[in-house]
Amino acid sequence: MMSEHHGHHVASAKQLWGIGIALLILTVLTVTVAGLGLPSPFDILMAMTIALTKAFLVAAFFMGLYWDTKFNSMLLIGALAFFILMVSITLLDTLYRDDVVPSF
Amino acid sequence: MASLSKTENTAQITPKKLKVKRFVPLENPINTYLTDEKGIWAWLTTVDHKKIGLMYLGAVAFFFALAGFLAIALRTELWTPAKTFIEADTYNQLFTLHGAMMVFFVLVPSIPAALGNFILPMQLGAKDVAFPRLNLASFYIYAFGAIFTFLSLANNGFDTGWTFYTPYSSDTNSAGIIWVTLGVFILGFSSILTGTNFITTIHKLRAPGISWDRLPLNVWALYATSIIQVLATPVLAITILLLAMENILDIGIFDPALGGDPVLYQHFFWFYSHPAVYIMIVPGFGIISEVITTFSKKTIFGYWAIALSSLAIAFIGFLVWGHHMFTSGQSAVATTIFSFLTFLVGIPTGIKIFNWVATLYRGSISMKTPMLYVFIFIFLFSIGGFTGIMLGALSVDIHLHDTYYVVAHFHYVMMGGTLIALLAGLHYWWPKMTGKMYNEPLAKTAAIFIFIGFNVTFLPQFIMGAQGMPRRYYNYIDQFTPFHQTSTIGSYILAVGFLVILFYLVHSLIKGQKAGPNPWNSRGLEWQSNSPPDFHNFSHTPVVIHGPYDYHQPMEEFQLGLAVDHEYGDEQDKVAAEAHASSATETTEA
Amino acid sequence: MANHSATHPKHVHHHFVDSNQQFESAKLGMWVFLVNEILFFGGLFCAYIVFRAWYPELFTQAALELNTFWGAVNTVVLIGSSLTVAMAIRSAQNNQKRGLEINLLITILLACVFLVIKYFEYEHKLHLGIAPGSFWNPTPEIAAVLDHPKANIFFGIYYMMTAVHGLHVIIGIVLMVWLYLRARKGHFNSEYYTPVEITGLYWHLVDLIWIFLFPLLYLIE
Ligand code: HEM
Ligand SMILES: [Cu+2]
Repeated sequence: MMSEHHGHHVASAKQLWGIGIALLILTVLTVTVAGLGLPSPFDILMAMTIALTKAFLVAAFFMGLYWDTKFNSMLLIGALAFFILMVSITLLDTLYRDDVVPSF
Repeated sequence: MASLSKTENTAQITPKKLKVKRFVPLENPINTYLTDEKGIWAWLTTVDHKKIGLMYLGAVAFFFALAGFLAIALRTELWTPAKTFIEADTYNQLFTLHGAMMVFFVLVPSIPAALGNFILPMQLGAKDVAFPRLNLASFYIYAFGAIFTFLSLANNGFDTGWTFYTPYSSDTNSAGIIWVTLGVFILGFSSILTGTNFITTIHKLRAPGISWDRLPLNVWALYATSIIQVLATPVLAITILLLAMENILDIGIFDPALGGDPVLYQHFFWFYSHPAVYIMIVPGFGIISEVITTFSKKTIFGYWAIALSSLAIAFIGFLVWGHHMFTSGQSAVATTIFSFLTFLVGIPTGIKIFNWVATLYRGSISMKTPMLYVFIFIFLFSIGGFTGIMLGALSVDIHLHDTYYVVAHFHYVMMGGTLIALLAGLHYWWPKMTGKMYNEPLAKTAAIFIFIGFNVTFLPQFIMGAQGMPRRYYNYIDQFTPFHQTSTIGSYILAVGFLVILFYLVHSLIKGQKAGPNPWNSRGLEWQSNSPPDFHNFSHTPVVIHGPYDYHQPMEEFQLGLAVDHEYGDEQDKVAAEAHASSATETTEA
Repeated sequence: MANHSATHPKHVHHHFVDSNQQFESAKLGMWVFLVNEILFFGGLFCAYIVFRAWYPELFTQAALELNTFWGAVNTVVLIGSSLTVAMAIRSAQNNQKRGLEINLLITILLACVFLVIKYFEYEHKLHLGIAPGSFWNPTPEIAAVLDHPKANIFFGIYYMMTAVHGLHVIIGIVLMVWLYLRARKGHFNSEYYTPVEITGLYWHLVDLIWIFLFPLLYLIE
């Protein structure tokens, strides 16, 4: 059953270096964009979009999810989903309090 | 260890010459996992999931006895409205210790790490869990965490309640609180390792023929539990770490005096601890499903409904944590949504109860001890669940929050649910684990003592809670005296019940009758092994051709025990075995 | 124990059918563990988001105290180490013992560079009195710029996030050293490199976390 041998994909050196360089460029990009001083929601959105792209590259190619069983990708996505759940439900409280934090 | 069991050839299958034999467990096995390697050292360094399960069982029983002893002390103190025999400060420390130990040391590891460890690989036809050494490590991490907790006692102890709410826990200048939170932090790792291990085992180590639709419901339940463990426990870990840093460095994230938010602590804590109540109860559901089919001699009603409702509970369990915080000052929006979502949890839980009851319908029920515990479970857990729904109603909870009503609710679910399920499972699998039977009349007597004792202890707490008796109080007004005294008497009856259990189980170990491989005539895979099983669980790798609850055929004709030699070497053999397993189904089930 | 057939390679534990099952199990186990890690850090990110939503101006103000340049350098360092780990796995898969050793060594080196830079950053801040919690005691110049009443909270979060991350880097270094020693003894080859693979997964996660920490902490203008 060769299909079970997902994990044994051997990435080529070229591929890996390509990803490494892409990550480097994205890092430079995010620093540059931050320097532009975009208006409020867009700066975070931009920074997070770039970070997510980088994360995608690392997960898909360095961690080999692209060649791996779907289930491992599901685990990663599931973890993120539960993290988002945790944050958004907590925000339902913290963003809508009458009295923010009991202040001293 | 050559072939321990009689086998006879029944088939030869292609493409490889793979011998598939009919597998018959031995009546009187000579070599078992217990005789495999003897001596304390062999036990302490074992990687055998069965021995590790038993070690966990011993540890859990020890902590249960200890925390139970504290409970008796607490109840005795509450005999009179004022001081009875312990000081107020001691009282605070005792109930905290009781709660923390029962939750973190007993209920969370009890069913998965003790019984689950033993049974899960057997139900999958595997030789062990996926990572046996991590399994052993998890046990020692657990022990290590326990040591921290005891160190905390030597350092002024802690009296915050098991929930460690800030700012109380961060402002208390007691070294004890740091030790115990680190202890809980460490314990979390043990829980995480067990969960990780189980998920991997269930995915990767199933014997040929065990497809997802042939997974025993106990395995489904442990699977759902492991998912919760993996997703929720790390949040507890980081919360506890933040709390410890709060205590040591005053980093202030949870401390209002430093600009932090104590309610955020409660969010974090309950993001773990509400799902954690499902870590405690869902494995219990698994046991109930197993026991109820065996003793009704009937296929489980609604296999998929029960299997999937475990996963549904695991998921919805993550959405409702705020129902513990209705009076904490969280926003009105959040409170309302949490209240609504809380009602949803009742649905999958109700589905389970209905399916169990439907399984009983027209079954041929034999009232053995495990089955007796199942009935007790259904009765008590239903009360616990219903009162939970009542507490989930926002307006009702404002009145009932932090009263004995809540105390009664969670004892009905945690003790009436989890602990009773644990007892059901313990009695059910005891013959498999030890190869011995226990004294049935005594066991039933103990069960009845526990049932009566339990209700006498906790029913009055609903009433006084509704009348306004707050929880965690050392003194109370005279009006509540009769309720408290009834409750105290009940706790003594409970204690007697447990002592009886201790007595006959020890007796069974020493003088119990031989159980034989399958005393309950169960169709589950774990019962097709020797009792006690041998080191590799099955002397041959089972090839499963039935679902786990196949009660259509009479026992004599029932053959689950097809097996291939362990020596089957490679992937191709496995494929051949899988192919055989699935083709055999078509003929037997058509 | 018995039942070890001749076809069972030495590195395969007795309870697995074959090498592939063992490899896949180890990898799945590691991924499940990474789920843990994500939610573990998730708690910290959640605290970050809650406080940032409450006090956006605090975050803009406080982030100025963080040195974007060194943060960026550390990002590049970690990305480089991720690349070398991936190369190490590739070497093992191709039976290149030298390549494996060298790539592991570079990874260890880069991880140490990361920690050294982090150390100097901490050092600098503590010197200015930007310390966590009750040790919060900024110098007058700093206090003049950082006048937000909850400034200490930002740094509480900053220190927790980076320290927990740093701890993961340290654990990673220990694992890499262990791998290196085993690699030198020739334990790994194209048939068996499971520990390299799963340690690699762990290391990439450490990198992933930093990929988010960097813009969230350093890049707020
Ligand atoms: C139908 C399912 C359930 C519902 C709707 C439910 C609901 C609730 C609610 C609303 C509270 C908060 C009461 C308050 O503090 O004012 C509560 C407390 C509690 N519940 Fe449940 N519950 C359910 C099942 C369970 C189960 C299965 C367990 C454990 C096995 C459990 C354990 C607890 C514990 C330990 C507390 C008290 C925590 C504390 O403050 O110390 N519950 N429950
Ligand atoms: Cu709850």
